[in-house]
Amino acid sequence: MAATTAQPAEASAAPTDKSDVVIETQNLTKVYRDFWGRQKVRALKALDLEVRRGEIFGLLGPNGSGKTTTIKLLLGLLFPTGGRAMVFGEDATSVKNKEKIGYLPEESYLYKFLNAEETLDFYGRLFDMPTAVRKERVAALIDEVGLNWAKRRQLKEYSKGMTRRIGLAQALINDPDLILLDEPTSGLDPIGTREMKDMILRLRDQGKTVLMCSHLLPDIQDVCDRIAILHHGELKELGRVDKLLTVQDVTQIRTKRLSEKAKDKIREIVKNDGAELLEIDNPTSTLEELFLSIVQDSEARPGRRASGGADN
Amino acid sequence: MVIEKKELLTFFEWLLPTDQGPGGLLTFLVVSVVLLLLGLVVSYVFCAVRRGPAEGFFAVARGVYTGVVDFANTSPRRVFAMASLAIKEAIRRRVLIAFAVFVVVLLFAGWFLDVQSDHPARIYISFVLTASTYLVLVLALFLSAFSLPNDIKNRTIYTIVTKPVRASEIVMGRIIGFVVIGTMLLTMMGVVSYFFVTRGLSHEHAVILDSRQVQGEGKNQIEVWETTFNSHHRHIITRDSAGAAYVDSQMGHTHAVTDNGGELVLGPPQGQLQAKVPIYGKLRFLDRAGKEAREGINVGNEWTYRSYIGGGSQAATWWTFNNVTPERFPNGLPIELTLSVFRTHKGDIERGVLGELYLKNPDKNITSESDFFTSVEYGTDQKLIPRTLNIVDRDTGLTKKNGDLFTDLVSQDGRLEVWVKCAEPGQYFGMAQPDVYLRSAERTFAFNFAKGYVSIWLQMVLVVAFGVMFSTFLSGSVTMLATLASLVLGYFASFVVKVATGEVLGGGPMESFYRLFSQKNVSTELDPSASASAMENIDLVMMQTMQSVVYVLPSYRDFGTSHFVAYGFNINGDLLATHIATTLSYGLAVTIIAYFALKSRELAA
Ligand SMILES: Nc1ncnc2c1ncn2[C@@H]1O[C@H](COP(=O)(O)OP(=O)(O)OP(=O)(O)O)[C@@H](O)[C@H]1O
Ligand SMILES: [Mg+2]
Repeated sequence: MAATTAQPAEASAAPTDKSDVVIETQNLTKVYRDFWGRQKVRALKALDLEVRRGEIFGLLGPNGSGKTTTIKLLLGLLFPTGGRAMVFGEDATSVKNKEKIGYLPEESYLYKFLNAEETLDFYGRLFDMPTAVRKERVAALIDEVGLNWAKRRQLKEYSKGMTRRIGLAQALINDPDLILLDEPTSGLDPIGTREMKDMILRLRDQGKTVLMCSHLLPDIQDVCDRIAILHHGELKELGRVDKLLTVQDVTQIRTKRLSEKAKDKIREIVKNDGAELLEIDNPTSTLEELFLSIVQDSEARPGRRASGGADN
Repeated sequence: MVIEKKELLTFFEWLLPTDQGPGGLLTFLVVSVVLLLLGLVVSYVFCAVRRGPAEGFFAVARGVYTGVVDFANTSPRRVFAMASLAIKEAIRRRVLIAFAVFVVVLLFAGWFLDVQSDHPARIYISFVLTASTYLVLVLALFLSAFSLPNDIKNRTIYTIVTKPVRASEIVMGRIIGFVVIGTMLLTMMGVVSYFFVTRGLSHEHAVILDSRQVQGEGKNQIEVWETTFNSHHRHIITRDSAGAAYVDSQMGHTHAVTDNGGELVLGPPQGQLQAKVPIYGKLRFLDRAGKEAREGINVGNEWTYRSYIGGGSQAATWWTFNNVTPERFPNGLPIELTLSVFRTHKGDIERGVLGELYLKNPDKNITSESDFFTSVEYGTDQKLIPRTLNIVDRDTGLTKKNGDLFTDLVSQDGRLEVWVKCAEPGQYFGMAQPDVYLRSAERTFAFNFAKGYVSIWLQMVLVVAFGVMFSTFLSGSVTMLATLASLVLGYFASFVVKVATGEVLGGGPMESFYRLFSQKNVSTELDPSASASAMENIDLVMMQTMQSVVYVLPSYRDFGTSHFVAYGFNINGDLLATHIATTLSYGLAVTIIAYFALKSRELAA
């Protein structure tokens, strides 16, 4: 439970300082069982992850791949079937840790009969915040998520996006060091999505650690420093976004207003070089390509293939 | 009114071990230790199966350690936040409708309450107290059973437990919140009930002056009037030649009468809403031969609450009272006695059975002159023994005129004996310890009524606590069933124990069913057969289990004090203190169990 417990050797291969590791999972496995203890779903299979201080980490994966399960394990909402989930060097179930954690659930599970102010005030109390601090923080957060105009309305009258916003405010009430966001942009309009992404980046700039999961690739691509791709509860890919997306043996040419003549010339050069011309075209979102190829690949050849190679 | 022995114990007699039993404290400690060990063993087995014997041990140790730390770090602000959330939730769920229901019930009650009974006050008071109890307990049941399961179902619990909230704070917050709601509701009900009772019973009579009759001559002349017929009764007013007038008692009350210049005026009803403070003595018996006996005779017709003594023999019974001082009883000794009468022959059925009552000095054979009285059947006889009275030395047979009650009959250390004998051969008097008491000070009815509501409040607290506890590991509707079962079992605790110990005829559930279908009387022996003994063994296991379950449940029936309020007896502070102590202990135990249940639960599964 304590931070001093022996760390397995293979995990220490990472070059960064151990004290910088905020989240660490070792061999984390979750099997959902039914009432009689029969196995229903193997939602997570031997996940090894490390999230470091100050980074935005994205968990990527198709529906039902185990993203939410991972986050719940990290919060102690679920107990691991095997392996360990450590946050700030302590067991995920530690209550004290929660002082430094903010969590935005998949859907905003809030008390519908409270209004925005009451909601934030209530969660503020749960952090044992004194009244004056609480008042100030509540007002600031309501302002920040842009709900000033609706702060006296009961949450049951809120639209999905509004609920999402108040959910985010709730997650930030304690000025957390680690923020876990489960599909933060779902239900938000384009402006809201942009604001959310800016907010996440701003949090990173304040030195906070963010773990978010999503299947919206542009979101991940825009904000995440490192990602892990899950499929059927298995880790398929892990690494820095920029590295993962550089396809070493592919050269992409992007120009503006290139004449047909010039294009022909380039084709010529490529041909002379003995290389194969793939296309000269507007590039597609490459994360999407990566994602789809991993999922297709995994479907064709099931099995674990976590590549730590692209790490850092 | 039946008052049980345990209702007469002082707080410390109840708390500490006596020759009667282990006492509340010891019982609590033993049960706690047993439950604790049981909990540890069960959780160890569970953990050991999941993680192996050594890891399991550490898991349990860690769990206990975390538990202690969590309880030590309880934050009042968080508990308060959880409590006010529970209150808001309850109010949004419109629980206050329960109060409206209560008011409507009271409005209709006037139609079906038997206002023509001999004691309408008892009926009114019992009714409002019972109605309040049922309503508030049902409400407590619903509130506490569904709250936490709903939070888990709606997953709002996710945003709670991912904050630094201890499971103990969630549990305590819930309990406190619902208790506050229940308190609000009970207060409102209590106030409304109070006015319902006082208004419902208040009435006026006018004196019919034409009905005046004169009886007797000269000094013995009395004047008699009738009053008007109101609230289903009329009174008779009697005035003696000295001008002192009094109103007879009807339906448990009288009125004060004043002479307003030749016109008699009756005041408001008196004596129906009271809170008598009885002082009980210790009851002992002499058998027919005059030897001291533990009990009198069981006349076999009723259950054994009362013991009987026969008339025309040496059989007698006496109560020893302590602390009889002139300061406490400056105007003499007010004695009230309720004797039950058992006739072996009809005798003079018009007249009560003749009895003899005298006071005796416990240290000497000196008594007051015998007071021969006719028993008031099905009622309470009130006597005032004056301070100055005739004293009889039973050894010499000499009578001293104008002796003093306190100097002659009360022992040095303030003890006094009240002796009762039945004077008619073949007839029996039955008595239990609370049947004869000295009536000391009078408390206000309103305060006693409030204490009656405190008893209801305590039951409500228990139901809330048990409901919240069950809801930490059961679903809403199952929680409700479990809490209801605990309530019913707790209510019939003494019955279940009696069945288990074989005190009640007819056997356990299996045997009873068999008897029901085979239409066998409860007292016929079953044919000895393999199936009969199998049945008995299953019953034995079932009843032993039930008994141990019942043993740890609060016995709700003991918490009821409405009979005190209804019969006009002050609710003893000691009794209330024992109930409060019991409730607190249960509250503590239940909170701890609920904490571990919630803590070890996988909330997102
Ligand atoms: N409470 C539960 N009981 C049983 N199975 C569950 C439970 N919760 C999730 N699962 C299963 O576990 C697997 C992983 O679910 P999880 O919610 O982690 O997926 P996800 O990656 O968050 O998907 P999405 O993108 O749709 O949110 C799924 O197969 C799901 O059916
Ligand atoms: Mg999910």
